[in-house]
Amino acid sequence: MTLQEQIRSNRLRSGLVVFGFVLLLAVLAGLVTLALDISLGVLALGFAAIYGVFALVRSRSLIAGLTHAQEIAPEAVKPLRRLVENVSIAAGLAVTPEVRIVEDSAPNAYAAGLRPEKSYVGVTTGLLATMPQRELEAVLAHEVSHIRNRDTYLMTIATVFAGVIALIADVGFRAIAYGGRSRRGGALIIVVAILGFILAPYAALLLRMSLSRRREFLADAGAAEILNDPEAMALALRRLAQNPSTIRYAEASTAHLWVESPTDRVDSQRRGVLALTSWFNTHPAMDARIAALEEAGGFRLPETLPAGESFGVEHDLI
Amino acid sequence: MLWLWILIGVVVLLGLFVVLGYNRLVRLRNEVDTGWANIDVQLQRRADLIPNLVETVRAYATHERTVFDEVTRARTELQRAGTPGTAAEANEGLTTAIGRLFAVAEAYPELKASESFLSLQDDLTDTEDKISAARRYYNATVMRFNTGVQSFPWLLVAKPLGFREREFFSAQGDTSLPQVSFATGAARDA
Repeated sequence: MTLQEQIRSNRLRSGLVVFGFVLLLAVLAGLVTLALDISLGVLALGFAAIYGVFALVRSRSLIAGLTHAQEIAPEAVKPLRRLVENVSIAAGLAVTPEVRIVEDSAPNAYAAGLRPEKSYVGVTTGLLATMPQRELEAVLAHEVSHIRNRDTYLMTIATVFAGVIALIADVGFRAIAYGGRSRRGGALIIVVAILGFILAPYAALLLRMSLSRRREFLADAGAAEILNDPEAMALALRRLAQNPSTIRYAEASTAHLWVESPTDRVDSQRRGVLALTSWFNTHPAMDARIAALEEAGGFRLPETLPAGESFGVEHDLI
Repeated sequence: MLWLWILIGVVVLLGLFVVLGYNRLVRLRNEVDTGWANIDVQLQRRADLIPNLVETVRAYATHERTVFDEVTRARTELQRAGTPGTAAEANEGLTTAIGRLFAVAEAYPELKASESFLSLQDDLTDTEDKISAARRYYNATVMRFNTGVQSFPWLLVAKPLGFREREFFSAQGDTSLPQVSFATGAARDA
């Protein structure tokens, strides 16, 4: 697939996901109507539409707020800014994304923005403190390739829809549970509605997660291609995996944005018995990602990571 | 009657094939053109830094005429280069000349400490990094376009419609051409 074909297939996929979400919304509204009242169903849909549009328009700053990413003047982080510029040029992006800093000692990074021209890359101070230049560049290339592939667009839409669905299901569930008088329809309908309200958010989550796992492999491959150096990406992933710290403001709603999942590790320790839970992971296992790079690049990662001064220390950024 | 329908079917299929092939090749060629424009911007930026650099060094090292001439000549060569191949050669030539200029500068401590010289040096390094980034993208697009032109069945429409293979941006003996495309391989794995 050429790049343009990848972007187009991503657009098509976005369309399908949006369709899936709309279908899910329609089912929810139907359940509200059957179990409660038609006016409530219309109200729920109208509210979902308004909330959805608002969230999409504001997504850039909403995500920045959720992840505690600070805007920063390009001159203040000139060496980092240059790396992002170089990676963007090598990726063929027309506009270099902004850089934002997340004050957090855990190494991680993410990209956000609906359109490539209005995107930014968020980088934690921990990433600058641990990664040597070669690997930092790989992480940045990974994020830039998310932007280039329009993954950020797709994931933003998915996030907003998942939020709307969770909200409606929650309200519907409460209305049935506590609003005795407004309840309508037979016992069977009520049971189905309750089940629907409980399961809908998980269905939304499943839709969202299955998407983001695939995108991670693509972005790793994209980074390898941008830098013409698959080993750098694999090394960066290995270094991320070895670092035990997780970011402070890790939230389920933004987990899928980061280069290394901030929540999967915690989750898999907590619910390790259930193999099923891996369906809800936002990211594929690090080993699988590294193995994919090793296979594509025809190399084996050395046992020990090369030691080297981190980019942040070298350039006095932290 | 049946033969007529078969004939019409074949003609329609052929037309479809030509249209699809043409669109695909145009898309690939546009990517190459964008890639080349990116390199051109950075080469121009590099060339624009040279007069300033020469003036700055001349202010301290007045007697190094030959090196100045060499750098200026290399710059003209780069600006005159018409094809990706010659531009890459000229760019290499400029790199060598600038290297010699910096070697000369070593002998003048005041020059090496001067603010403007340091910032020029920094800008030059940055431009060189950007040229190599732009080159990676451009060469990857050329690779895809050339593969498109050479591979069956598109090669049947490429020649008649005037699609010619493009030149890589690489000097002779350069070994940094793109490896295989990773994107497709790993996508399959996922």
